[in-house]
Amino acid sequence: MPKCTINGKEVEVKDGQTIMEAFYKTEEPIAHYCYHPGLSVAGVCRLCICDIEGNPRPQIACNTVVTEGMKVTNKSEKIKDGVKWVLDFHLINHPLDCPICDQAGECGLQEQYMEFGKYDPEMAEHKVKKHKVVDLGPTVVLDSERCVLCSRCVRFTDEVSKTSELGIFNRGDRSEIGTVEGKKLDNKYSLNTVDICPVGALTSKDFRFRQRVWYLKDSETVCNGCSTGCNVKVYFNKEGFFRVKPVYNEKVNGHWMCDEGRDIYKFLNKDARFTTGIVRQNGAQTEMAPGALAKELHKEIKAKKDQVAMVLTGQYTVEEYEAMVSSMVKEFGVTKIYHWVNNKESFDSFDGLLLRGDKNPNTKGLLQVLEKHQIKGVWGDLEAGLKNKSIKTLIVAGPENKAVFDNLESYVKLFSQAEHLVWLGAAKVDSLLSLNNKVSIVPLKTFVEKEGTFVNAAGLEQKFKRATTVVHEALTLTETAILMSGKNLTVPMAQIEKPAFLENKRRQDQVMLENRKKNEFVFKRGSL
Amino acid sequence: MSVVQKAGQSSKWYLPGIVTGLGITLKHMIKNIVSKKQMVTLNYPEEKYEYSSRFKGNHILTVKKDGNIRCTACMLCATNCPAECIKITADENPDPKVEKFPIAYEIDILRCVFCGFCEEACPVDAIRLGPEWQTPGLSGTNFTYDINHLAYRPSLKGGIQSHVDDEERHKEGI
Ligand code: SF4
Ligand code: SF4
Ligand code: SF4
Ligand code: SF4
Ligand code: FES
Repeated sequence: MPKCTINGKEVEVKDGQTIMEAFYKTEEPIAHYCYHPGLSVAGVCRLCICDIEGNPRPQIACNTVVTEGMKVTNKSEKIKDGVKWVLDFHLINHPLDCPICDQAGECGLQEQYMEFGKYDPEMAEHKVKKHKVVDLGPTVVLDSERCVLCSRCVRFTDEVSKTSELGIFNRGDRSEIGTVEGKKLDNKYSLNTVDICPVGALTSKDFRFRQRVWYLKDSETVCNGCSTGCNVKVYFNKEGFFRVKPVYNEKVNGHWMCDEGRDIYKFLNKDARFTTGIVRQNGAQTEMAPGALAKELHKEIKAKKDQVAMVLTGQYTVEEYEAMVSSMVKEFGVTKIYHWVNNKESFDSFDGLLLRGDKNPNTKGLLQVLEKHQIKGVWGDLEAGLKNKSIKTLIVAGPENKAVFDNLESYVKLFSQAEHLVWLGAAKVDSLLSLNNKVSIVPLKTFVEKEGTFVNAAGLEQKFKRATTVVHEALTLTETAILMSGKNLTVPMAQIEKPAFLENKRRQDQVMLENRKKNEFVFKRGSL
Repeated sequence: MSVVQKAGQSSKWYLPGIVTGLGITLKHMIKNIVSKKQMVTLNYPEEKYEYSSRFKGNHILTVKKDGNIRCTACMLCATNCPAECIKITADENPDPKVEKFPIAYEIDILRCVFCGFCEEACPVDAIRLGPEWQTPGLSGTNFTYDINHLAYRPSLKGGIQSHVDDEERHKEGI
């Protein structure tokens, strides 16, 4: 475990770690493009130069291993000047694209220029023109002029996705990123290249030109696209959600996430959601406040508790399952609770990196709660019960992310055998609105609108916080459970000990409003 | 706030002040009758004042040489606008040389404070504040100007051309 000093700060690193990692550890700023903690070292951008005491020439931090007692600095004039020149070289052929570049606002070049550059360009030659708007594949667009040839994207396809579609072609200032002939950048993790590209050379087709990044707020949460439970950031503003990016978590997803998971923002927006409570009876449809609707269900469940069954998907939080299942079991004595598994065949599959066949974020959590309450219903019981009409009221907590429930329609058909189908769910399912039996729809909140816990496939509990609220009327499953058991919701209020204005807190010499009024409007009329 | 005024001596002699004032009015009246051309007031609305072209009035979206809108939908104007009255929707242009362009550009002119910050922020001289300043409307008039009105309204006679041209820029090697 060698010790070294980074800009005067002493730090201990593991054997074989580089100066760059020591910089990361001390959180000292250092300019760099090609180094990425999740990829191998390339050492091509030469921006990370620093001074090592006793070494006459600057060294690159990303490819120099720390040795005992090393004294490193990147604050010296020589290094500052060097970084400036390297940056100047990077920007020689860079186009003036910031206004139409999606990366502007979170661009490595802009940031490093403001921090380390700030020079006047001295290049008199014409800029080299390269290919723009190159269609690399179904998800990514390339702009070669903006590329700084850091090779991060190439290393990603070589080392992480192991698909090796990308390469650097030509030489010198004509080098360009491209795909190997006949190939497209088309793999399940391709959009990670957009994240790691330090500039705007690779842009996501889905996000392209939709928003400027400075209009977006972000919030960390857990992806609900599959049971891996990648840690992600969702980006949103008042118009809705726009994109999803991975957040580093060593235990779960490392630096990456899959392309499928980046679509989860789509079902969060209002147009994909149920926004009010709906009751359908004999083909007639009425709208209702979701809370009132949930409360109305109380009597029915109480009266017919032997004919009530419940279906749960693995898309809700542990806390919600606990509230729902315990209220069902304890309040009503309903134990016909079933776990809806959508894709039985590929449920346990795993692609070796992140993607799992179980497309629910919290299957483990659901099973734990069911086990705790000793519920052992199997799917066949439900089907039989629906057939022989012993189940009359069926409560379904449907999927939020209905895109991964590809045979949803056939399940809706199955559920519609019940006399009264109570659908709790966020996603708008159109086929529900054409059923002929009684249907009550209670809109629910999605995972970004509540806090809770997901238990991922490895059994890791991950807590997440609320990001924002999209549909204000919607309920969480917990709230629905409370209302369905006939109770009222209590809104937690900020506790104020004493009234804000207290007689006894008033200053001795404070002028009262009454007196002030008198003082203010005294005019010396006679002299006007 | 109390308003107190001291009773000064001079304020009692108001008559000389009134006479001086009337004298000035009379002087201007005679001057205006004698030489009508030098008159400073106008018979608005029959006569209208022409401000200089630098006057900051209603917005103009400039056009390129081919007549298309110059704006690249970078949203810097909308970001800089203190009144938040600019709303732009960007989209991908089929022409790869253009790449990004606005499919909708709206200015809520009733919110605009005519500060000119949008003009200052624009990197390509796509938006200007023009000399036009009389834009009254009856109740129900739409004061949210859309992209067609901003760029091609009849008073602009087919569009004002922008100073910044991409092709010239590329020719110069930038
Ligand atoms: S990559 Fe960065 S510096 Fe280059 S055009 Fe895009 S935002 Fe501007
Ligand atoms: S496209 Fe981006 S990630 Fe790939 S080499 Fe160029 S700058 Fe680096
Ligand atoms: S003039 Fe000022 S207030 Fe009006 S649109 Fe431009 S930036 Fe906004
Ligand atoms: S008018 Fe100018 S600043 Fe505004 S979006 Fe268009 S190009 Fe950008
Ligand atoms: S980060 Fe070290 S050379 Fe690029």
